[in-house]
Amino acid sequence: MSENASPENSVTETAAAVPPPVEDKGESLLRRHIASFFESVGATIGLVVLVVLVAAAFLAPLFAPQDPYDLATLSIMDNMLPPGERLETGMVALLGTDEQGRDMVSAILYGLRVSLIVGASSVLIAAIIGASAGVFAAYAGGRIESFVMRIVDLQLSFPAILVALILLAVFGRGVDKVILALVIVQWAYYARTVRGSALVEKRREYIEAARCLALPSSRLIFRHLLPNCLPPLIVVATVQIANAIALESTLSFLGVGVPVTEPSLGMLIANGYRYLLSGNYWISTFPGVALVIVIVAINLVGDRLRDVLNPRLSR
Amino acid sequence: MKKVFRPLVFAAVPLALMAATPVVAATLTIGLALEPTSMDPHFHNLAPNNAMRQHIFESLTQSDENQLTQPSLAVSWEPTGDTTWEFKLREGVTFSNGTPFTATDVIYSICRVPRVEGSPSSFTSFTRDIAGIEVPDETTIVFTTRAPSPLLPTNLASVAILSAEAFGGENVVFGADGCENAGTYPASTDFADPSVAVGTGPYKLVSFNPGDRITLTRNENYWGGDVEWENVILRGIPNPGARVAALLAEDVDVIETPPIQDFDQIRSRGFKIEQGLSNRVIYLHVDSGEAVPPGVSGTDGRNPFADVRVREAISKAINREAIIDRVMGGVAVAAGELLPWPLFGTSEDAEPDAFDPDRARELLAEAGFPDGFSVTLFTPNDRYINDERVAQAVAQMLARIGIRTSVDSMTASTFFSRRGQGDYGFWLAGWGAASGEMANPLLALTATRDTDAGTGLTNLQNYSNPELDALIAEARRTVDDDARRAILQRASKIAMDDYATIPLHFEVTPWAFKPNLSLTPRVDQYTLAMGITAAN
Repeated sequence: MSENASPENSVTETAAAVPPPVEDKGESLLRRHIASFFESVGATIGLVVLVVLVAAAFLAPLFAPQDPYDLATLSIMDNMLPPGERLETGMVALLGTDEQGRDMVSAILYGLRVSLIVGASSVLIAAIIGASAGVFAAYAGGRIESFVMRIVDLQLSFPAILVALILLAVFGRGVDKVILALVIVQWAYYARTVRGSALVEKRREYIEAARCLALPSSRLIFRHLLPNCLPPLIVVATVQIANAIALESTLSFLGVGVPVTEPSLGMLIANGYRYLLSGNYWISTFPGVALVIVIVAINLVGDRLRDVLNPRLSR
Repeated sequence: MKKVFRPLVFAAVPLALMAATPVVAATLTIGLALEPTSMDPHFHNLAPNNAMRQHIFESLTQSDENQLTQPSLAVSWEPTGDTTWEFKLREGVTFSNGTPFTATDVIYSICRVPRVEGSPSSFTSFTRDIAGIEVPDETTIVFTTRAPSPLLPTNLASVAILSAEAFGGENVVFGADGCENAGTYPASTDFADPSVAVGTGPYKLVSFNPGDRITLTRNENYWGGDVEWENVILRGIPNPGARVAALLAEDVDVIETPPIQDFDQIRSRGFKIEQGLSNRVIYLHVDSGEAVPPGVSGTDGRNPFADVRVREAISKAINREAIIDRVMGGVAVAAGELLPWPLFGTSEDAEPDAFDPDRARELLAEAGFPDGFSVTLFTPNDRYINDERVAQAVAQMLARIGIRTSVDSMTASTFFSRRGQGDYGFWLAGWGAASGEMANPLLALTATRDTDAGTGLTNLQNYSNPELDALIAEARRTVDDDARRAILQRASKIAMDDYATIPLHFEVTPWAFKPNLSLTPRVDQYTLAMGITAAN
């Protein structure tokens, strides 16, 4: 991920320059940010697609043709049907069925839900832990800072996929365990990002002013320092959601992720992978397309957020 | 372009060969699914090793493609008493280094079996019964066993014969508690050296490069006459896709276990596929002990599996034909016993349990579970053919009769170590009977567990049936084949009627190979160059 500004993204707007203090003109700033966000067509499309997909995934139980996680409704006799064929129940499988007889439309919607839940919740938890650690380290300074940041360095020196594989081999399968593993491999990104911006903010006048008022440390950290470190955090978090979804898919593809009877997108792809050469393309392809769309949409939104929230780019 | 020429090439090859020699190609290259772990034939009792060593080392007896015991280095054998077996040795056999084969080599080999250092899975179970060895004359060897040992000839098929002279063991004296004058036994790693890996088999070792290939060449001193191939190359290609690709690119001539979903592609490219019934049964085990086993809930503190009606309901709820048709691609055979007919101790009329979900629901209700219960089915996901998918299909079928089943799958090493710790109440696994007769699976899977006596070693389901135990014990000391077969058939029927193990299907082993070859499938799933010939 590059932090450099690309020329077409630089907006000729004058606002949103030097950030703090946020509360003063929060309303108008937010409105300006929103307006600026929608100036990009790509980002707007990405956001719309994302909202539609999220809604479809979470409302899946209401309109999905089948509950693919209820084994009693599946029939092995329906397996590997090509798109458009009828199941034993008379239902038409628009995108075909997989090797266990799951309707692919339903399986993708439910799988998308698992992927989004894993992606969003792991990022949320990791961001909270990482941001707290980062802002605390920056505020405390000295040995505490060195100690926290060396742990972060240590964590970041291992490839995420390797650490997650080992953790899941120990924990076993399950959505909760995948989330835990992703939190462990991701919190360090947030810690480093937040510490960086907190170090800058720490030297600003408004913090000094707050210090002079002898405000308690907790208030200083959480009411003054942290809110002003949020913009970069939001950007990293948005991009990380896409990474987390891709990581979960990879883990499930490798057979250590979610339970086999409740497949996520990654597992659907893995299940169909061995049939690709045999002509049964639909089992891997459609979940793969769904995964690509989600990740591209999230990345479009994330990139635009970075541009909008980065004062150096909008000046 | 390639497609245009292919039929021409295939037409031309047989013509050219008819004119020349009956041997198609001097070199046979085999793509193995799993590479042997050592060239030492006594090191690791593992299918790839046991298959590999048969090219180089022979035994007194050998098991044929249906696992019936046949002569090899011994020409005949008979029991001369309850605890004695007399073997007549083949005359005129020499090792690949030219030294003659004698009874001393047999004694030396049996002496070494328990003395292999670092053996991960030893061959001692095949020699443990032997209490004494005598050599009345040069071609006769008499074994005395600790107890009646009807399986001794079968067991000796697993003991490779080394050359005593090659290791300075010419003066070895057998002792049941350790041999004398055996010299220093060779280390397992030494066998990678062709001058150490000396046997009487049809081939001899040229080189062993772990991770790449094993090269063999014809043994000119082989007693059995002509050997089909001048050179044999065995390459370990663990990835199934890569194995198929290697065959299609004609880098190898034969591959083991091509994936079922690739059959059409392999056939359409002109290659042949041969399938053989294996001795491996895929089965379900349920913890039938007193306590509610792990993974079971909704039973009011009762263990549902302790009730034979629940076990029967599970068996009847499973549509074995649907699993074979839809999951196994037709490449499996429904099982009604732990070994397929006509192996020793099986009955021709042992039919698989018929699919009858209505009766299964009735049985559940009679057992006091009209609303079913919840259970987790544990399964390995990389050990047996489509294991994880079979487990999911079973879970579907059980869900239909009210047993709410979730599937927990994991890699084989984790699966087996957790099973050993008693973490499971319900699991899917497989059993390949190395000896090819019914006493083996009955003893391992259904006999009451007693690690000291060596019974029920894989009966981790707390199953115990004294009547069955008595029959298995009787079969193990009956030397007369016909009597033993009848006892085993009766024992198998009792075990199946009590659902001591719920068999699903027998795996069928496929091989794919070039169209100008023919291959004899083996029940033990071994791939042997001796079983591959040029098709006429």
